[in-house]
Amino acid sequence: MNRRVAIRNMALILGSAAVLPSCLNDKGKPVVQLKHLKIDADQETLVNNLTETILPKTDTPGAGELGINLFVFKMIDDCYDKEHQQDFIAGLGDFAAEAKKQLGKSFNECTAKERTTFVSAIDKNSKDEKYKDNTKLIAFYRMVKDQTVFGYTTSKYFMTKQIVYELVPGRYNAYFPVKKHAAV
Amino acid sequence: MANLNIDSVKDRTFDAIVIGSGMSGGWAAKEFTDKGLKTLVLERGRDVKHLKDYPTTNLYPWEFPHHGVLPDDVQKANPIVNRCYAFGEDAAHFFVKDAEHPYVQEKPFDWIRGYQTGGKSLLWARQTQRWSDFDFEGPARDGFAVDWPIRYADIAPWYSYVEKFAGISGNRDGIPELPDGEFLPAFPLNAVETFFSNHVKKTYKNRHVISARCAHLSKPNQIHLDQGRGQCQERTLCQRGCPFGGYFSANSSTIPWALKSGHCTLRPYSVVESIIYDEKKGKATGVRVIDANTKEAIEYYADVIFVNAAALNSNLILLNSTSGRFPNGLGNDSGTLGKYVAFHNYSAHINAEYDGAKEWTTDGRNPAGGGYMPRFRNVYKQETNFLRGYAAGFSAYRWQQNSSDGIGQDLKNNLVKKDLSGWHVGSHMMGETIPKETNYVALDKSLKDPFGIPQLRISVDYDDNDEKMKKDYVEQMTEMFTSAGFTNIQASTDHRAPGLDIHEMGGVRMGNDPKTSMLDKWHRLHACKNVYVTDGASMTSTSCQNPSLTYMAFTARAVDHAIGEMKKGNV
Repeated sequence: MNRRVAIRNMALILGSAAVLPSCLNDKGKPVVQLKHLKIDADQETLVNNLTETILPKTDTPGAGELGINLFVFKMIDDCYDKEHQQDFIAGLGDFAAEAKKQLGKSFNECTAKERTTFVSAIDKNSKDEKYKDNTKLIAFYRMVKDQTVFGYTTSKYFMTKQIVYELVPGRYNAYFPVKKHAAV
Repeated sequence: MANLNIDSVKDRTFDAIVIGSGMSGGWAAKEFTDKGLKTLVLERGRDVKHLKDYPTTNLYPWEFPHHGVLPDDVQKANPIVNRCYAFGEDAAHFFVKDAEHPYVQEKPFDWIRGYQTGGKSLLWARQTQRWSDFDFEGPARDGFAVDWPIRYADIAPWYSYVEKFAGISGNRDGIPELPDGEFLPAFPLNAVETFFSNHVKKTYKNRHVISARCAHLSKPNQIHLDQGRGQCQERTLCQRGCPFGGYFSANSSTIPWALKSGHCTLRPYSVVESIIYDEKKGKATGVRVIDANTKEAIEYYADVIFVNAAALNSNLILLNSTSGRFPNGLGNDSGTLGKYVAFHNYSAHINAEYDGAKEWTTDGRNPAGGGYMPRFRNVYKQETNFLRGYAAGFSAYRWQQNSSDGIGQDLKNNLVKKDLSGWHVGSHMMGETIPKETNYVALDKSLKDPFGIPQLRISVDYDDNDEKMKKDYVEQMTEMFTSAGFTNIQASTDHRAPGLDIHEMGGVRMGNDPKTSMLDKWHRLHACKNVYVTDGASMTSTSCQNPSLTYMAFTARAVDHAIGEMKKGNV
């Protein structure tokens, strides 16, 4: 893996993010290129909408604008084993069905507000270890949320605008006053 | 045609051949070429040039396709090397993949390897502690292995010699069991590391927690600048190769230094099949190499041969170097070749919390990693029901308690929280293991590697002494943590296979008696005086210090001896 390849891959992620909205819902094929996961355009849109619900555009950029949705697909396609990928697909189906049941329409047809209400409840349940219902749905949700958070907190935007990641600190202060830390 | 052949032989003839370009081979190359000797360095892997061949060194996390995580198929294809902590998306290209060099595990053994110029010196944890006579006298005092043929006084000047060039940071702590060296300024202990250090000093006799000594240029001297290296910038991304040459690697230091002399030929893709022994001359005359790309066999010749292929591969080469005189491997009159292999036991850890020093945290990153506790068990006298002892790492840290709770703006706010956690402390054991005849490596009778060389069979395991020592580490650390006022103390042990410590040693051990050892006090084969082995294979016992610094000192001393012998016409 050289630097050029890394940059090219990054450009692919960012580039396709910009193109996405106009090509969706075309013949049911997903836009994102996947090696292992088999999904259709509706399912792709659902995941895109879910990442945007978890990490919406506010006065700062959201998942779609930062290409986090594509990162989530890339991670689940490349870095999870077959078992997790099967749970992802099954859980995605359960998520879509549950949304329809609760909201009377598909997740993709919902308003942002309706999606937020629905996902908030799932988010609360996902932290409850005793939560027995819909285990695949929760597994799916956790994968998407984990990778949304990971992709966001390791994104160029987050690491340059929200925090300052230092490739070259150039210092080690063994005694650093907490007061100064809070002020940084 | 005849002339062509003569020229070809001449082109393939050197004063010295060094097998391996890593931690110790790099030193052999530097020392020979410093003295003007024409030296061939054989590297089985590809060439990795300092700076030029560190493709990930300046990448930000978001510039990696998976932000640092290795794809599942890479992890699944490499169950062995994937267990190594440094095998990530930023450094996987410096590790041998499992399928590239197969071996037979009679017992589970994680053989972690780096086949390229610089070898594992690109990837090491950079901890550098001297041995003392408490270590060299260990086998004789405690009645295991054989007596080391050298003592601290033999190696002390060579420690100084290599430390000055490599650049070692540390404090002069004045501890007899961990002698001081030629130090650059230490990376200091933080508030809680200092607290624990003071507590241990006050409460226990002969126990110390010191700044870990490491091969980082905390303040470079002219000799380091002359190598083209600069000050460590506290990146702690060392496994990618350092753009500043801030830590010692063969790539940043000894190998370019040797090449600059004009006397060094570095030949990558050169897998050494065997060392050639001439029965009439009674010595080795050269090595047989398989070109890794063409699979062609080529012979190179020299007056003296240094074997620095990394501990187990040095064993493999000698085992595969058979002749009428040495049917069981070169220099193996004693029958000990491949036996008495040992390692370091890293399989216990302990973590806790400390509710104090709340006004302090740290800023930046510590390349030394924190504190180091030299061995305190069975040092001055035998005091436990097991032999020898362990060193321990010790570090304290706080982190920003951002959380990933909630969704939407709540989540965004939670992810940038700056609340600091309390102090957490952690330690891991580094235990000495006892070399035994039953812990061995041997050649497989039928299986071959991709170059037609027999595969290595590895049969190395823990024993009862290791279990007792592990238990003692947990007990002693728990007691020290408790008396220091640490809370929520959690000890854990794991069942990692030997090898994952990446401190495998022995098989070609040193000793005074040719009947029970392979190498003399100058690291020469007792029975073939122009072949030297100065890497981990030569270790008679392991003690518990990180071994690389000792290999470097051994190598510089052995080359000095070899050059002396060459001048006297003895080789």
